[in-house]
Amino acid sequence: MNIGLYLQLLVIGLSMGMIYAILAMGIVLLVRAVGVLNFAQGELFMLGAYVCYALTVQLHMPIYVMLIVALLIFVLFGTLFMFAVYWPLRNSKWPATIIISTLGASVVLKEVVKLIWGSVPVVQPPIIKGVLVLWGNVRIEYQYLFIIGIGSLLITAVFLLFDKLFLGRAMQAAAQDSYAAQLLGIPTIVTTALTYIISASLVGVGGWLVSPLFLVSTSLGSFLLKGFAGMVIGGLGDVKGAVIGSLLVGVIESFATLFTATYKDAVVFSVLIIVLIVRPTGFFGQKISEKV
Amino acid sequence: MKLLSRRIWGEEKMLNIKNLCAFYGSIQALYDIDIEVQEGTIVCLIGANGAGKTSLLKSISGMVQHSGTIEWNGEDITNYNSVQIARRGIMHVPEGRHVFPGLTVEENLEVGTINWRGFFGKRRDADELTYVYDMFPRLKERRKQLSWSLSGGEQQMLAIGRALMGRPKILLLDEPSMGLAPLVIEELFEKIVAINKKGTPILMVEQNASMALEISDYAYVINQGSIEISGAAKDVACDDRVINAYLGVHAGQC
Ligand SMILES: Nc1ncnc2c1ncn2[C@@H]1O[C@H](COP(=O)(O)OP(=O)(O)O)[C@@H](O)[C@H]1O
Ligand SMILES: [Mg+2]
Repeated sequence: MNIGLYLQLLVIGLSMGMIYAILAMGIVLLVRAVGVLNFAQGELFMLGAYVCYALTVQLHMPIYVMLIVALLIFVLFGTLFMFAVYWPLRNSKWPATIIISTLGASVVLKEVVKLIWGSVPVVQPPIIKGVLVLWGNVRIEYQYLFIIGIGSLLITAVFLLFDKLFLGRAMQAAAQDSYAAQLLGIPTIVTTALTYIISASLVGVGGWLVSPLFLVSTSLGSFLLKGFAGMVIGGLGDVKGAVIGSLLVGVIESFATLFTATYKDAVVFSVLIIVLIVRPTGFFGQKISEKV
Repeated sequence: MKLLSRRIWGEEKMLNIKNLCAFYGSIQALYDIDIEVQEGTIVCLIGANGAGKTSLLKSISGMVQHSGTIEWNGEDITNYNSVQIARRGIMHVPEGRHVFPGLTVEENLEVGTINWRGFFGKRRDADELTYVYDMFPRLKERRKQLSWSLSGGEQQMLAIGRALMGRPKILLLDEPSMGLAPLVIEELFEKIVAINKKGTPILMVEQNASMALEISDYAYVINQGSIEISGAAKDVACDDRVINAYLGVHAGQC
């Protein structure tokens, strides 16, 4: 019977880990492309949940229409975000300028959401209803399996883009050395915008996936912290590391509830601190030494 | 006689720069520079640190604010952006090499085709790849290696090779010898001459004045943002001011 419980915890942990991985991947892609931590990533995630709530519950769209409209909106968000928060400041001599501007954006997004949807949390029905019952007594909600499925799909898609497509290769190049990329004729404005669009769409879908499990409210933005934790455990700047680190965070958090439900966050961040002490660069830390 | 008529009519001018000024915000780095590069030649630009050599190349490739006129085969490209410049085959190999550290050698080379291939074009770079690997066999040996792990000389070869992938009509080389051992520099300069022999004109910036003058057809000396001396490379190499300021003991026979 314990096996059943562990399986449950593993599934829940992996599914939350997928959500953190999506968040972390979005952050890492931006860090690599423009060298800036985006603190508004959590708010874009929350916004994704609200947009999907509005389209599904308020506008009664069927899921396929909803997904297409939502993706278009995320693409728009990504583009707007880049041109409002990053582009005007990209040549600033003080790198913190952009970080502060992302902090500002996070506040603005939170307030706008409150203006539109109020500060009372709203409820999003499950995307997939039902429960999988194994061995008569192990119950796993399909929603968790759905999250794991879609999460794996998204992560694979991002890896394929960067590994297999020439476009992805050019985006990697532009992220690694924007100056050289421009000299070769890569339109870095396009690669940067694409990175923002991918990042915003990833977290937007992440917000949609997670919204039925929690109440939809502005506090969804705080999920970003777990994404950060996953990213740091995996090793800053490495997409693969961020994914693995985030899955680890999800599973640790889930199994921590065996001992304490109240302090599961404390457990996660204790692990983070221990990892940082033992391996300051994270498990998959910078393989590319910074050559000047 | 043929040479004379070329000089008179100037019909083979590929790159023609007039009254070029360059600016970093309120700081002016170049003052009324006139430079031309003719078909098939190597032109070098020598000058001390901070003289404005890099700024000149950056102006051509659209990477710094500038005024004046830059003509490319008769087309006014003064206000083109870096993408438009690269599409015309003007390939700038930057100072400090700037290889993509996390990409392999071959991936770096592949990215060099972006100017004619675009994001979604078919990969048709077999000829270019063969050319680059024949020119730099060391790159072929290391083609699966991440480029940050290459030596300085290999990185320079990769940076030049990457530009060759872009089907260059002209190469702009910024201090290719910087930080390299004398033997490596010698090999590199041989390659530069070989590339030029295959028909690619080269505008080269160098602090290593004696070697640069040796392989060049024409030379400009730039000082504090202005052209101070210009002429056939062998004449410039014999100019007293150049011998005193840039060549010293390396001065050849005049
Ligand atoms: N990014 C920059 N911002 C401000 N001034 C610059 C910048 N780059 C170069 N300069 C100035 O422009 C002048 C020429 O620099 P540069 O073209 O790099 O010289 P060189 O390549 O000959 O060493 C120098 O005085 C330098 O201080
Ligand atoms: Mg320079």
